[in-house]
Amino acid sequence: MSHKQVVAVLWIVLVILTLGGSLLGETTEPGYVLMLLITLTMAFKGRMVVDHFMELKNAHPLIRRLMQGYFYILPLATATTYLLSNAQL
Amino acid sequence: MTSAYCNQLPPAGHIPGNRGMWAGILCEMTEFAVLFTVYFTARVFFPQEFRSGPGNLNLLAGTLNTLWMISGSYFVVNAVIAIRQNRPVLSVRFLYLVLASAVAYMVTKYLEFEWNVAHGVTAGNGAFFTVYYYLTLTHMVHVFWGMIGLGWIIFRTHDDAYSPTEHEGMESFASYWHATDLVWLIIFPLLYLLR
Repeated sequence: MSHKQVVAVLWIVLVILTLGGSLLGETTEPGYVLMLLITLTMAFKGRMVVDHFMELKNAHPLIRRLMQGYFYILPLATATTYLLSNAQL
Repeated sequence: MTSAYCNQLPPAGHIPGNRGMWAGILCEMTEFAVLFTVYFTARVFFPQEFRSGPGNLNLLAGTLNTLWMISGSYFVVNAVIAIRQNRPVLSVRFLYLVLASAVAYMVTKYLEFEWNVAHGVTAGNGAFFTVYYYLTLTHMVHVFWGMIGLGWIIFRTHDDAYSPTEHEGMESFASYWHATDLVWLIIFPLLYLLR
């Protein structure tokens, strides 16, 4: 697959994930499963954009790790605070 | 991904664009990291507000804006690929598509804020809505800066300023635009989906 084809496929995947996420958010009962799906999707989308749209897959490791790190830390923080806030209800 | 695919990407160790732009991008990511920390802290202290808040927002507007941002990123990477293939006319066409995505984002945001006002969704309604306006308005400002940069890149590409061997300016803009897209990919689930 060429780079152009990879980004085209990824664009379609990201659009499907966005529409699917919205549909789930609208129709599914809120809970831990939904939260997990949302955070995993967030992490996946971010990593795909960083590696293939931003073209950091081969890039300087420091830059790539910093950008990828964002999409480990943020989903983890999202899940943690969701659990903490639910515990208070 | 295969090594053949990796060979089509810039060489190993390459930094897209210039270091100055990367300093700016990391500042932007840090700024939003602080705002996300505010979101997380407020979520812990006001759990009920954050649980019910997303239900009061316009999910269609949030979804559309996510599609505009993702599409803008897709078009900008195609503009960079086109310039590497020495096809400036095609590159400019993709840059105009990026501009169309950005304008669509701005129009959607305007309509969303109008809808909010009509439905009584204001910043004074509680912690969730304060955080919502802080995050979305700050992101909007970053998109606006990007649009100014995009105008410059379109002008330079029209002017044949970029070539397959020298297109650092376009790569710099592309990196900034992707970073702005990345921020939205976090904002969207936090504010619109996580009920």
